Amino acid sequence: MSLANIFEEYPERRYIMFGGKGGLGKTTFSAATAYHLAKSGHRVLVFSVDPQASLSDIFERDIFGKGPVEIVPNLFAQEIDADQHIRAYQDEIRQKILDMYGMEEVPEEIESYIQAAAAEPAMEESAIFDQVVDIVVAAEYDYYIYDLVPLGHALYYLSMASVYDEWIDKITDLREEMEEYSKVASLIQRDKELEEDMILQELLDIKYRINTSSSILTDKEKTAFFFVIIPEEMALIDTLKAADLFAKYDVPLSGYVVNRVIPPGLAQQNIPEYLRNRLKMQEGHLARIDELFGEQVLAQIPEFERDVTGLPMIEKMAEAMFGSITEPTTAPSKSVEGANP
Amino acid sequence: MIKRIEAMIEKSVRALREVIYGMTVYDWVHELEKARNEQERLFTLIIFGDLLGVPILPPYHMLRLVPYLVPSFESWRRSMLRERDFTDLIDQEIG
Repeated sequence: MSLANIFEEYPERRYIMFGGKGGLGKTTFSAATAYHLAKSGHRVLVFSVDPQASLSDIFERDIFGKGPVEIVPNLFAQEIDADQHIRAYQDEIRQKILDMYGMEEVPEEIESYIQAAAAEPAMEESAIFDQVVDIVVAAEYDYYIYDLVPLGHALYYLSMASVYDEWIDKITDLREEMEEYSKVASLIQRDKELEEDMILQELLDIKYRINTSSSILTDKEKTAFFFVIIPEEMALIDTLKAADLFAKYDVPLSGYVVNRVIPPGLAQQNIPEYLRNRLKMQEGHLARIDELFGEQVLAQIPEFERDVTGLPMIEKMAEAMFGSITEPTTAPSKSVEGANP
Repeated sequence: MIKRIEAMIEKSVRALREVIYGMTVYDWVHELEKARNEQERLFTLIIFGDLLGVPILPPYHMLRLVPYLVPSFESWRRSMLRERDFTDLIDQEIG
């Protein structure tokens, strides 16, 4: 099974994610996959949910906080500016208070609460995932490619979402019970139209948003999650642990992509001892990867002679991952496996 | 004349209704409202916990609820921070 096959066989998997340790090439793979899909005639959005995003670097264009930017036809890239989003959100809350009570300014205590809230550690993640809901619900693209945060953050968000979800359930119940009391009281008094509980409405909407963003990460039908690994001891150990954790949170795993493989063909050439040792070590790790993941390894990507930045290099990477691009008009044919170095 | 009698009857009926209300279901309503206020305090605590040093929920989404709680905010703080003693057992609720 190759990477290209996965996309052909499961066209309903529209949310694509590459996960793995930091610095293994998640952004590179996200960009190259987006490029490949766009060239095959799909409308694609690749967006970054990482506060330290690097899509701007890889596309060599400043897209930070500028909304979706079309890079090549059908390929849109977006980097979410979490700070800006949070500031706008705070202003919205303030304005709402002023409007609701006709106040000149927000009471001091409330104002300091609003300010302190923005400094919370989970704020950025929450803000980003919340904006993702807006992006995904708008459904303007065929494919959504998440340039994911490093493993820890994604897991953190998932666990946060499940804890959060339970809390919201609890306070929604509490709120409903409160409403029940008010209803009975006004029934006995036989008066007062009960006004609709706005807080309850908000709670239900919050619950919907949290569920939408976390359910995408765990939807087996629509989500394809790929682990990026490299043939190195530490990366392997970490990935095994992470795969375990992800399984616990029901993140559906579609396969593994091995990055940074030094072309073994080099061994036939006259190369320094240093490189020969690296090759030998790599051979061991590749054998281990094969033993651990076997069929689940979808592609091996060679270490390139230079950094993958700019469109020509992204195109090259896309070819290494998916083979040469088939024309969108022709029937999907099994593409050539060009991934093996 | 008739109008005045009518008004008097109406007045006494209303008074009678209130007396009956007070004798019968007033306590229920009072209890219900008390229970509701108790929950309202708990609810506000969960959302505003940070302010008393009890962070419970991450505040991103909770910020959206803040506007609705502005009016009850001051009395909530007072009721959370006031001292409690055995006289609280007597049925007098503040806030």
